Amino acid sequence: MRLALDHIGHGFLGRPVIEDLSLSLAAGEIAALVGPSGSGKTTILQIAADLIEPLSGRVRRHYRRHAVVFQEPRLLPWMTACDNIAYGLRASGTPLRARREAAERRARDVGLAPEDLAKYPAEMSGGMRQRAAVARALAVDPDVIFFDEPFTAVDVGLKRSLQDLVVAAAQREHFAALFVTHDLAEAARIAHRVIVLSAETLGIGTEIPIATPMAERTDRAVFETVEAWSRDPRLAELFDGDRDGQP
Amino acid sequence: MRILGGLGDVAAWLGRYLWSGWAGLAGLCCVLAAWQVGHEVYGSFILPSPLETLAALVALMQEPAFLAAARETAWRAFAGFGLAVGLGTLAGAVAGYSFAAMRLMRPVVTFILGVPPIAWIVLALIWFGPTGGSAVVTVAVASLPVSFAGALEGVATRDRALDAMARSFGAGWWLRFRTVTLPHLVSYLFPAWTTTAGSAWKVTVMAELLANAGGIGGELAIARSLFDIPRVMAIVVAVVLFALATEYGLIQPVRDRLEAWRKAGQPWGVRP
Ligand SMILES: Nc1ncnc2c1ncn2[C@@H]1O[C@H](COP(=O)(O)OP(=O)(O)OP(=O)(O)O)[C@@H](O)[C@H]1O
Ligand SMILES: [Mg+2]
Repeated sequence: MRLALDHIGHGFLGRPVIEDLSLSLAAGEIAALVGPSGSGKTTILQIAADLIEPLSGRVRRHYRRHAVVFQEPRLLPWMTACDNIAYGLRASGTPLRARREAAERRARDVGLAPEDLAKYPAEMSGGMRQRAAVARALAVDPDVIFFDEPFTAVDVGLKRSLQDLVVAAAQREHFAALFVTHDLAEAARIAHRVIVLSAETLGIGTEIPIATPMAERTDRAVFETVEAWSRDPRLAELFDGDRDGQP
Repeated sequence: MRILGGLGDVAAWLGRYLWSGWAGLAGLCCVLAAWQVGHEVYGSFILPSPLETLAALVALMQEPAFLAAARETAWRAFAGFGLAVGLGTLAGAVAGYSFAAMRLMRPVVTFILGVPPIAWIVLALIWFGPTGGSAVVTVAVASLPVSFAGALEGVATRDRALDAMARSFGAGWWLRFRTVTLPHLVSYLFPAWTTTAGSAWKVTVMAELLANAGGIGGELAIARSLFDIPRVMAIVVAVVLFALATEYGLIQPVRDRLEAWRKAGQPWGVRP
């Protein structure tokens, strides 16, 4: 077990967002966190990644280091792709040469060309930026990676290749991942387990394991999984457009 | 290969820099023409011609006494600039990080900003006597609010999302300050520094003149008492030239170097 959230409660300005939530993440496991908008997915991820303190409960971490891939690339505009990818290593005090080498290797892993490394974020396409953000996370050799809807802003083809890249990297390097998404097809493609948040109970509604091996997750299999979910009463809240308080 | 590439970069930069100089030169010629007209209307005693002034300027630049005075003034302006920028930036950055500090310091700075520089000179004269120190203190105090406001604004508008990213990688506050806040802050500081550099020269000369503390201000006072109008004009032009040299020879090149990444996003900034 890499990460455990025990009885976490949090809220903003006196309004509770999550109550008494517990979840855990096993080594090498990819868990997708889905839920309606505003159900607290980003909040849980930030608590897990130690970016905010929960109001109650505690977080147990059994790993050396983690990395976060945010919804926006969050690259530093004044640094080249190479320095951006190496940023996490710089924070941990890795010497310059080793940093450069790791950045070059990771850029290759995510499909960035060597000449792209000298570019500033303003000179890169949106897809290249998100690739660089993934490379930056992989570069620190993390045991756990937190993804917060990282591929919502990229087109379908690129989304597919970035998802494949994450799955391949996870299998190769055995990191665990908590992957927030609102795209059930994405969850069906990359996750071992889907954690469904409920806006009504302010916690986990249900958990659904996906047994299909990664190698067998063809477009057809993914489609059928999502099809089956759409008839699943436990997931009704996700498919129901007119919830309370939502237009 | 690398060295050649570097030379190419420098040449391109120099080219752009000189090219932007042409526009400035055209404006300058208009000013000179208007000056000549004024001279022909009012005569040499009120307004010496640009050529007379140039001759006086050339003579001035060969006087060891004036050069010594200019060095003195430059040193004072520089010390005042350093104090204003150092203290102002530091206090502004602290205020930007801490809401309480901002609430505490803002009224003080607003007050300082409201006091005219001439009043500071009078106060400095009373406190420090007619020495170079009064000029330095006047520059420092009068210019401090600009740097303070720039640093405050820069730190307060830093990108918190980038800061969270840096924290997620375990970056300590010093690294975060250098890599996330500072590059953003710099774009707020440079306008403040440009203003401060310009007013450092002006205020120093003014303080020297009033305090009778030597330097260019002292030279100006002497020329005025001798009714040597071309010399007065030449000194004025010299001060303007020094201020311009400080800005374009010192501050802008540093800025261009530090903000090279901005060029990257502009269509004409596509690099080879
Ligand atoms: N910094 C904050 N201050 C005040 N309220 C906040 C803050 N961050 C989040 N909230 C509130 O907490 C609730 C949960 O937000 P959160 O961002 O975790 O939702 P989410 O599940 O990630 O939604 P989405 O799918 O739209 O990204 C929302 O109602 C939001 O308004
Ligand atoms: Mg969110």
